[in-house]
Amino acid sequence: MYDAPNLETRVTQTNTKITARGVQVYYGDKQALQDVDVDILDNTVTAFIGPSGCGKSTFLRCLNRMNDTISNARVEGEILLDGENIYDKRVDPVQLRAKVGMVFQKPNPFPKSIYDNVAYGPKIHGLTRSKAELDEIVESSLRKAALWKEVKDRLGEAGTGLSGGQQQRLCIARAVATAPEVLLMDEPCSALDPIATAQVEELIDELRASFSVVIVTHSMQQAARVSQKTAFFHLGNLVEYGDTSHIFTNPSDPRTESYITGRIG
Amino acid sequence: MSVFFLIIVLGVLAIAGFVLGRGRALASVQGNTRRLHSLPGYYAWHGAIMAFLPAMAVLTLWLIAQPLIIERQLADYFPAEQFENDSQRILLMADVRRVAEGLDVAVAAGALTPQDAETITVADGSVRERLGAVGVALGAEVTPEVLDAAQSYRALASTGALGRAIVTLIVALAGLAYALRITNGDFRARNRVEAVILGVLILASTIAILTTIGIVMSMLSETIRFSSMYPFKDFLFGLTWQPSFQGGSELGLIPLLWGTLYISLVAMIVAVPTGLFTAIYLAEYASPRVRSIIKPLIEVIAGIPTVVFGLFALVTVGPFLRDWFAVPTGLGSSGSSVMTAGLVIGVLNIPFISSLADDIINAVPQSLRDGSYGLGATKSETVRQVILPAALPGIVGAILLAASRAIGETMIVTMGAGAAAKLDLNPFEAMTTITVKIVSQLTGDTEFNSPETLVAFALGMTLFVITLGLNIFALWVVRKYREQYE
Ligand SMILES: Nc1ncnc2c1ncn2[C@@H]1O[C@H](COP(=O)(O)OP(=O)(O)OP(=O)(O)O)[C@@H](O)[C@H]1O
Ligand SMILES: [Mg+2]
Repeated sequence: MYDAPNLETRVTQTNTKITARGVQVYYGDKQALQDVDVDILDNTVTAFIGPSGCGKSTFLRCLNRMNDTISNARVEGEILLDGENIYDKRVDPVQLRAKVGMVFQKPNPFPKSIYDNVAYGPKIHGLTRSKAELDEIVESSLRKAALWKEVKDRLGEAGTGLSGGQQQRLCIARAVATAPEVLLMDEPCSALDPIATAQVEELIDELRASFSVVIVTHSMQQAARVSQKTAFFHLGNLVEYGDTSHIFTNPSDPRTESYITGRIG
Repeated sequence: MSVFFLIIVLGVLAIAGFVLGRGRALASVQGNTRRLHSLPGYYAWHGAIMAFLPAMAVLTLWLIAQPLIIERQLADYFPAEQFENDSQRILLMADVRRVAEGLDVAVAAGALTPQDAETITVADGSVRERLGAVGVALGAEVTPEVLDAAQSYRALASTGALGRAIVTLIVALAGLAYALRITNGDFRARNRVEAVILGVLILASTIAILTTIGIVMSMLSETIRFSSMYPFKDFLFGLTWQPSFQGGSELGLIPLLWGTLYISLVAMIVAVPTGLFTAIYLAEYASPRVRSIIKPLIEVIAGIPTVVFGLFALVTVGPFLRDWFAVPTGLGSSGSSVMTAGLVIGVLNIPFISSLADDIINAVPQSLRDGSYGLGATKSETVRQVILPAALPGIVGAILLAASRAIGETMIVTMGAGAAAKLDLNPFEAMTTITVKIVSQLTGDTEFNSPETLVAFALGMTLFVITLGLNIFALWVVRKYREQYE
């Protein structure tokens, strides 16, 4: 009874950011995703869960056309970002990826200094007019990624010299600095300790204010903690999609229930 | 027993060690292999190794030591002052060996009885003629000392061969016996074999190093001899290269060094961008199908002998450059020029750089590309800002290797650049390089002991120092870069 009005206010605040209809993905002849329909909301954290190999990363990569870089991958169907089909011929995938940023499962800092890693996106897209502005973006991005305190005295050192967890937060800062509208995160916490995980989760919650966040995770607790919407994938199908509270307490599909309670996976 | 036959016997003993070692290990545990410390195969290999390796080592040492010892023994036959002079001793020993071999051949052909071969003297008539009759040609009549020494050489050599066979076989049998005695279920044959493998690997790696040291030593000693005949300062800083075999040569390095570096520079200006762009295209842009066609085609160039490239320079590139560039612009009238040789060497080096750089670029992890594309970077931005910096140490290494190759190239410069040692800025002028002059100073009928010939070694040493310097520089660049980013 108390939940209902809350839900109400949230839904009125948010509108659909990404709409996917009938998405099919093939790797060569092998179909990896079938008929995925999803509406991803603005200012919302959406979690993708499901057993390994079910196509979570594949679908995530469809949303910023990273599948274009895999030579044998083929995407069919319709994905709209703010009502515009991103697979339309007129859309430049490079521009699209500036709007739909991505953090990968394995930390992949560039072999550059910490500063240059974060400044990479803003420099490429010409987001700043002066060095001071760039400094500011770098600092605020590192702060958002909860890394500023640890690296503020060593911005000129190599990003690859950080620990695994720090590298992952650096990659998050790097993605945030580009000022995307949607942030895709593929298991961003799989290399992190519980403290860093908590920091990243807090960050995700803050990011929700300005972006739409999609996160792939294998941790049910994490999905329950950070997300408002959850999508459950199984064997290339989107089985169930809905409010996180609903999916975790009262799933409508028996497969979802089995997975959440740990019977398949 | 001949060395060849001895090695075959060692091989047979090794096989025996293999079979016996395995059998003995199995017998010691009543065929229950699980009670063995190592797999049966290790006991077999241990037996084979112990029978073969120590004996082989003794044999090798014996083969190295025997000629030296015999040489010492023969010193008594010759006047001391002849024997102390290095080059005279070498000539004398060559004569002795030749006569000794001649006697062997004569005995084998039946022209001499073994008895005669040992006792024959110059008084019995011309040894030269008798050996000539069985096909052994000697340059001059045999002196009594050389004949005596040769006879003594044969005696010593045959005693040596007998001792060699006996000692080698004893060592082999001892090794075999040791292996069999020590083999039982608890013996750690696996670890022993591992140690032997390690030893073999280390030995293999030292061979290259020892060869390098040997080359440097021999060059160095000849260079020192050269510097005792010709002022080394004039060699290093001399501005004219004018060897003359009547004496009074001017052997200045600078014109040759200039030609070498100038031609290499032109070659690198051609090869580095082309090779690098090719590699980037192949690694980042080309589809797998295009790549599978282009890559082998480019690598065909690497398989063409440099002589063929030299012909190409001489017949096609040189005249083309002369008729279309040099003559119309009034820069020169020679087909052989720095440009000709530089262009052709550059083309030769394209596949070298492109295939090395291609491998290096491919080794950059895909995750870095993904990271860059995921931030909305284009392909060329990704290449420039992420891939090339990550691949830079390897690429610098590849470029410097290519530079060493360009500096050491001989055939193409001989045919494309000419033989005139000149200090000139005009790239359409014929010039020459260090390598060309090394060849031309060493070939030809000249006395070995003159500065005109020995300068070749000083030139070789210079080349060695230049390439060594390049390599050290490459290491330095790579290390500096690594410190910054890893
Ligand atoms: N580049 C590729 N080429 C061919 N098949 C691929 C490729 N990438 C993924 N696949 C296949 O597509 C299916 C879905 O893979 P995907 O990476 O999306 O799974 P996932 O749900 O992200 O799994 P995980 O939780 O283990 O990361 C798998 O069967 C996988 O083998
Ligand atoms: Mg995945």
